[in-house]
Amino acid sequence: MKKRRWIMLSALALVALVLFNLPEATSTRVKGAVRDGISPLQAAWHRGLRGLRETFRYIRGLGDLALENRALSEEIVYLRGQVRMAQELARDNQLLREQLGFQQRFPATLISCEVIGRDSAGWWQTVRLDKGALAGVAAERAVITTDGLIGRTVAVSDRTADVLLLADPSCKVAVRVARGGVFGICTGLGNKPGEQPVCRMDYIPQTASVEEGDEVLTSGLGGVFPKGLLVGHIVRVEPSESGLYRTAWIKSAADLGKLEYGFVAATETDLANARRAAEAQPTLDDRVAEDEWP
Amino acid sequence: MTLLVLLFWLLVGGTLQGVMPAWRHMGQPAFPILLGVVIYAATNKKFGYFLLAALIAGVLEDSLSLVPLGSSVAAFLVAGWLALRLRTHFFADKVSHAAWFGALSAATATGTMALLLRWQGLLALPLRDALWRMAGSAVLGLVVMPVLFALMRGLERRLGTWEGA
Repeated sequence: MKKRRWIMLSALALVALVLFNLPEATSTRVKGAVRDGISPLQAAWHRGLRGLRETFRYIRGLGDLALENRALSEEIVYLRGQVRMAQELARDNQLLREQLGFQQRFPATLISCEVIGRDSAGWWQTVRLDKGALAGVAAERAVITTDGLIGRTVAVSDRTADVLLLADPSCKVAVRVARGGVFGICTGLGNKPGEQPVCRMDYIPQTASVEEGDEVLTSGLGGVFPKGLLVGHIVRVEPSESGLYRTAWIKSAADLGKLEYGFVAATETDLANARRAAEAQPTLDDRVAEDEWP
Repeated sequence: MTLLVLLFWLLVGGTLQGVMPAWRHMGQPAFPILLGVVIYAATNKKFGYFLLAALIAGVLEDSLSLVPLGSSVAAFLVAGWLALRLRTHFFADKVSHAAWFGALSAATATGTMALLLRWQGLLALPLRDALWRMAGSAVLGLVVMPVLFALMRGLERRLGTWEGA
């Protein structure tokens, strides 16, 4: 009996070893299939929770609705003016770029996604989005919210995508301080979700003009993140341990602890690949036809 | 029937673990719900069920995170094997014993996982951080396991699949 147990235990250890050494493509396919299978449950759970939260918020905020409505109307008028101005500036910008022969730097289409989960093992700081390759999401793409950059896509299955957040120590972003024009790499601090600052920028020359409150934007170097996305603001600048450089601590513009939505910056190629993949997927009619007896 | 109930709990555990954010303290460990199902199978079910639970729970946990496939299976096997060795000395249906089983197995699984991730060069946690995280996992295991065990046992009693005393 004991011997049989050991044989079974060894067999499972062997299975674990085989899984461990599966080729990357097979492993990705297996993980993707499991993720796709469980994502409707996660999405349902999240929608249920959000519904509950919004109901409570609605009940609590009924009294403030009139005031809020007026404030929002004022904001709409202000924002419409801003949009008109921005449109004119974009037209001018486009014209000047054409005259100078520049390529447009950020031709991405934004894919709106809902956050449906987090890293189940808790070793990395990630969130899961409810859209994947079939919607045009590809790996190594920037993910933003209306407030600013939140991270990049790392593992993409047909219907889900995992986003490595800015706060994760393995997430590195090429950045530029907007005011002084100083370039550098922003590295996650591995902080608790929602805790600030979330990342730091090392090797800033002593002479560079970097101050608390400065805006930090993506520099566009490195290829993953398009140029000009807001990362956050500098909250502290300190001399590095060696004393040769300075280090800036950055608070992200988006609150990484309360993410509900995200936009993935997809390229035209991603969208074309998604269209091809969607066409290749068998429809229900095809499946019924395949199942029919000859 | 036992298999179906186990599969149900694994599915529930996988879903919950994927939507619950990691605990904000003590190294940010994740709630050990899938591990709880494995430990429940190790302490209350036949050996075969424990192995099957470890395999499915491991594949689920790895698929829902960036951990390489197979790592959690190994971690669950080690933690479950430990629970299996101790099962004759404890009563798994006693709350305090379930809590200690939970703490010990969660810390073991986290430690094994930290070693595996370090060995693969994916995440090199300093020893102090790894121990802190193991302590955090133990605290979560201490709290989560008795609740999970009670829920699982309750369902089994209702369905008539409970094999315990």
